[in-house]
Amino acid sequence: MKQIPDKNILLFKSCLVSIEYPGVESSTTFVFDKIGVDYFVSREQTCCTGLGHYSDVFDQFTTTVNGARHFALSHKLNRPNFAMMCATCYAINKRVANLLNENDELRDSVNDVFDDCGFEWMKYEKDDITSRENIFHVIDIFYSKRKEIAENIKYDFSDFKIATHHGCHYCKAHYHDTIEGVRNPHIIDDVVNACGVETVGWYDFKRATCGNGFSQRFVHKDLSMDATNDKFKSLKDKNTEILIHLCPNCHIQFDRYQPYMEKHYGEKLDIINLNIAQFLAIAMGADPYNVVGIQTHTVPVEPLFDRLKLLSDEDKKMIIENVSRKVDLDNSADFNMEADTIKVDFKKGAK
Amino acid sequence: MVSDNLKVGVFICKCGGNISDVIDIERVKESIDADVIEEYTNLCSINGRKIIRDKVIGDELDRVVIAACSTQSHLKTFQAYVQPLNPYLMDMANIREQCSWVHSTTDDDFNQKATDKVITLINASIGKVSKSEPVDPIVVQTPNSAAVVGGGISGMSAALSLGKQGIKTYLIEESPSIGGHMAKIGKVFSPVKIAEECGLCLLNPVLNDVVWNENIEVMTNSKVVKANRRAGSFNLLVETKPRYVDSEKCLSCGDCVDVCDKLIPNDWNDGLTNRKAIYKPFAQCYPDSYVIDIDNCDKCGDCKRECKMDAISFRRENEMIPLEVGSVILATGHKLFDPDLRPEYGYSRFKDVITQSELGRILGVNGPTKGKFQCLSNGEVPKNVVMIQCVGSRDDTPNGHKYCSKVCCMVALKNANIIKHKYPDTNIIICYTDIRTPGMFEKYYKHAQASGIRLVRGRPGEVGKKDGHLVVRVEDTVKREFKELDADMVVLSTAIEPSEGTNEIAKIFDVSQSEDNFIKEANPKIKPVTTDIQGAFVAGTAQDPKDITDSILQATASASKVSEIVSNGIEIEPFIADVDYEICDLCGECIEVCKYKSMSIEKDRIFIDPMSCSGCGNCIAKCDKNAISINGNIDEMIFSTIDGILKDKKPGEKRIIAFLDDIGYTAADNIGINRLSYPESIHIIKVISVNRVMPKHIIHALKTGADGIFIGEYPGDLLYDEIEHNMKKIRREIEMNNMNPERLAFSKVYIPYFSGLARKFIEFDSKIDEINDLAK
Repeated sequence: MKQIPDKNILLFKSCLVSIEYPGVESSTTFVFDKIGVDYFVSREQTCCTGLGHYSDVFDQFTTTVNGARHFALSHKLNRPNFAMMCATCYAINKRVANLLNENDELRDSVNDVFDDCGFEWMKYEKDDITSRENIFHVIDIFYSKRKEIAENIKYDFSDFKIATHHGCHYCKAHYHDTIEGVRNPHIIDDVVNACGVETVGWYDFKRATCGNGFSQRFVHKDLSMDATNDKFKSLKDKNTEILIHLCPNCHIQFDRYQPYMEKHYGEKLDIINLNIAQFLAIAMGADPYNVVGIQTHTVPVEPLFDRLKLLSDEDKKMIIENVSRKVDLDNSADFNMEADTIKVDFKKGAK
Repeated sequence: MVSDNLKVGVFICKCGGNISDVIDIERVKESIDADVIEEYTNLCSINGRKIIRDKVIGDELDRVVIAACSTQSHLKTFQAYVQPLNPYLMDMANIREQCSWVHSTTDDDFNQKATDKVITLINASIGKVSKSEPVDPIVVQTPNSAAVVGGGISGMSAALSLGKQGIKTYLIEESPSIGGHMAKIGKVFSPVKIAEECGLCLLNPVLNDVVWNENIEVMTNSKVVKANRRAGSFNLLVETKPRYVDSEKCLSCGDCVDVCDKLIPNDWNDGLTNRKAIYKPFAQCYPDSYVIDIDNCDKCGDCKRECKMDAISFRRENEMIPLEVGSVILATGHKLFDPDLRPEYGYSRFKDVITQSELGRILGVNGPTKGKFQCLSNGEVPKNVVMIQCVGSRDDTPNGHKYCSKVCCMVALKNANIIKHKYPDTNIIICYTDIRTPGMFEKYYKHAQASGIRLVRGRPGEVGKKDGHLVVRVEDTVKREFKELDADMVVLSTAIEPSEGTNEIAKIFDVSQSEDNFIKEANPKIKPVTTDIQGAFVAGTAQDPKDITDSILQATASASKVSEIVSNGIEIEPFIADVDYEICDLCGECIEVCKYKSMSIEKDRIFIDPMSCSGCGNCIAKCDKNAISINGNIDEMIFSTIDGILKDKKPGEKRIIAFLDDIGYTAADNIGINRLSYPESIHIIKVISVNRVMPKHIIHALKTGADGIFIGEYPGDLLYDEIEHNMKKIRREIEMNNMNPERLAFSKVYIPYFSGLARKFIEFDSKIDEINDLAK
C-alpha cells in the first residue's frame, strides 16, 4: 500500500466546504487533533478553480498556474503533503502536478508567468510535488489512522442503516492512486467500519455519480436529477438512514436537492447526509453545532441524536481489537484491495 | 606481417568478369605478398576446387585467402575446398558484393581505386588468417527424447506428434488426468460447418492415441520442480504426487465414492456441483481410475474397506523422478480472469451471473444439469440472456488486460447459437466492444445474427436487480442511447490469462515472459514456437490466447522443431567463451552479464552452454580475473585485420573501417547485389558480434592510420542497448587520445534497409573529409 503521511500536512480549504458546509472543515480539524495528525490551514490559499474549470470558466493553463502557486506555498510552509476535503480539489491538483512534471513546455510557460509577475519564489521545478506521494484526500489519512479512530470513538452508530457514496473525482479520475477499490470503492465503508459499524455495503448504483456534474445540474437538470434519483431509489431500497460521502459537491446534491427530489418524484426520502469527517466527529463526541455545523444542513440531522447511544467500554475494547486485526490484514502482502470483501464482523466477535 | 614459418596462399576469383571487369587482377597479383598467388575464372567450380586443393597439398599451405564473393554465398564451399586444411584457417576477402559491384562506375579500363581496395582487403584477410587458429565446429547431439509440460490439447497434440516420430516423450500433467480445458468445454465451434461439435468426441481419439503410443509416457499428478540445461539436454526433476488408488488394480466400479461422505466443489464443473474426496475427474479421464484428493480427505478409511480390489493405500509418498530429455515443449495453458475483479457485474452477488465457462458446463450433457439449460437460482429456462464481452480483456484499468482474448467472440456466439437452436423462445443479447470473427468465423457470426441473436455495441456499466430480475445497464454506442436490458441470466466472457503453471514453468526454465506474463517467443513474427532458451519451445495458450485449432497448429509446429534438433543435432560456430577453471573464483559476474543466459554454475564450475553462447564477449569484459577467453583468438585476429587494412597506406589516401556483424554484413552485400555504390574508402570487417570490437581496437586503428571507424548493429540484438551506451565511453577515450571523437560512427543496420546503410557510408565518408580538412 502507498505511504500516507500524517505530518507536514497542508489541509486544503475548499470553497464549497467553506460556503455550504463549514462544519466539514471544523470536523476534519477536530478529528485530526484527536487522531494525531500534524496539519496547518493557510489563509494564503485560494480556490483550486475546480468549479469554474469544469464549468468552462477557467482554462487548464490558468488552473495550472494557480496550482503551481499552491505547490510553491506548500514548500514555503514546509507542508508539502496536501490533504483535500473536496474530491474535485483532489483531482484538479493531481492533474496539475502530473502536467507540471510531465510537460516541460507547459512548465516553462507557467514559470514565465511567475517571472513576469515578479513571483520568482513560486517557480516550479520538475517533481517539486508528485501526485502520488504528496496529494491526498482527507479520507486517505483517516484510512491510514483507523486504529487511532477506533480508540477515539464515543458513540455507537451500529443501529443505523448507513450507506456510503464515493465521489467520482476521488475514484475515477486518478484510479491508480485510489485506495481501496475503484470498481468497488469501499474506503469510506472501511473507515466507518473502524467505528464498529457495518455499512450497507454494495447497493445498486453505488459507483454511479451523485448527479451533480458541475454545470450539468444547471444545463441538463433532468439528466442530473434522474441520476440522483437512481441513487436515492436504490438507497431507499436498502432502507438507508444516513448517507456518508467525501465531497461537498455530492453533499450539496444529496442534501440541498433532497426536498426538490421528494417533491418532484413524490416520495419521502429522509436520508441524512454527513461528510465522513462530520460522521467521525459526531462519533467522537464533537459539538453538533459548533463543530459539526449541522445547522447548515437542509435535511435535519437532529433526529440522529435522539437514537445515538454511548459506546460501552466492552464494545469499544472489542472494536479496537478487531480493527487492529483488520488493519494488519490490509497491510499484509498479496492483499487485493479490489477483490476484498473481508469485513470485520463486530457483533459476533469474529476471529 | 605473416610469420615466416606460415605459408599463405591467395586465390583470386574473376567471377566470370563480375570481378575482373572492374578490378585490375594483374596489378593485384603484383602487389600481394604471399607464397602462392593464383587466379581463376570460377573458383567455386569443381575445377577451382582442384586448383585450391592441389596448391594446399602440393605447396603445404598453412593459410588460405580466397578473394571472391561474399561469405554469404560460398563460405561453406571454400571451407570444403581447402580440406585437409582446417576450415577456420581460411578467410574470404569479399571483393565482389563489397567491392567490384559497388565501385563499378569508372571511365578507365579498370577502377584503380577499387583495385587498391582489393589489395587492402586481401591484406586484411592475410592479416586475419595469420592469427587464426584451427578450431573444430561443435556439433551438439541431443538425446532422442522430449518432455511436454501440460496435458491439455496442446500438450497432447505435441506429445502425439513426437511419439509418432519415434521420439521418447514424457507428457507431464499436474492434475490427475490429461485432457485440460477442452475436456470440459462441451461443444466446440466449427466455422466451416456453421455447427457446433462435441468437444469430448474430438478429444477422445487424441487422448486414446496418446495413451496407446508406446513412445509416450503419461505422468499425471506430476509437475516439473526443477530444470537444468546442459549442452543440448535438459535435466528435469519431476515431483509426482500419489493417487492413493492403484491405477492398475482399480476397476472404476465407483463403490468407494458411495461410502465417502466428504463433499468438495467439483472443478470440472467449475464448482457448480460437488464431488467426493475420492473421485474420478471425468468419465473419459486417463488414467481411467479413481484418485483421492488428499487435502480434502479425513482418511477415515471407509473407501479402503469398501474396495474389493484392495487398490487403495494411504501409505504413499511424493516421488521425485529425474528425467534427462533433449528438448521441452511448454504447454502449460491458461486460466480465466477472476470475475470478482469486476464487482459491478455482480458475479458473487447474483446466482444467475455466470461465466461462459460455467454456461458451457450447464449446456454440457455431462454437466451439472445434464445439459438442461436453466437458471441456477430457480431451475427455470431463462427467457432473456445477456452476454457481456471483454470482461478483463481490452481493458486498461487496474487489474485488466490490454490484449484481446481472441476466442471470446466465438465462444459467446457458439453458446448463443446452441441456446437459440434448442430454445428458440429465449432472447439473447450479446453486448460487445467489437465483434472479432476473422476468416471463416465471419460466416458463423452472420449465421448467429440470422438466427435472431441480437448484438448491442457497448460495454455494460453494471448489472443490477430490478423487480426481481437482473438488469444490464449499457450504452448502445451505435444508437447512442442508454439501455437497461432485462435478463434472467447474465453471462460474462472472461479474459484468458496465463495459468499459474505457466508462470511457474517460465521461472523454472528461465524463459522470458511477455508483459502480460505469457511465455514469450524468440521472435513473434518468424519464430512463433521457439523461446529464448535453446531447445525449449512453447505451444498453446501458454504463449497467448488462442483457440483449439491454433493450439494444435502450434503444438505440431513445436514438435517439428524438436524433431529437427533430434535428427541433426545442432552445429554451432566454435567461437564461444571458455573458462580457465584455475583462475575462476566463481564470483558469478559473468552469469549476471550474459544476455543470452548461457552461463550457470554447475558442480562448482562455471558452465557455458555452447548452444546459446553467441561469442559476444560480454563476459570477458566483466571478468576481473581474466579467466574467460573466446575460442579462435578473435582479439588478435581483429588487430591483425586492422593492420592488414592499413598496410601501405599512401599519404592523402583515406581508409575507413566498418565493423559489421552478420546482419550488417548481409545488408552491405545487398548494396552490392542491388548495384548501389558507396566510396572506395569503406573497408568492411565482419565480426561475430560488434561487442567484440573493443576500445583498444578502435584506438589502435585510429592511431595507425584509419580515418574513421563505422560500427553497425542490428537494434534487435540483445546487446544493442549496451553497445549503444558503450559508444559514449569509447568516444571519450578517443578524445583522451587527442583524436576527434567524431571519427567514430555508430548506426543501426537492418537487412532490408541496405540503401540506408549505403547512404550512411556516403555521409560518414564526407564527414571524415571535413574532419580531415579541419585537422589540416
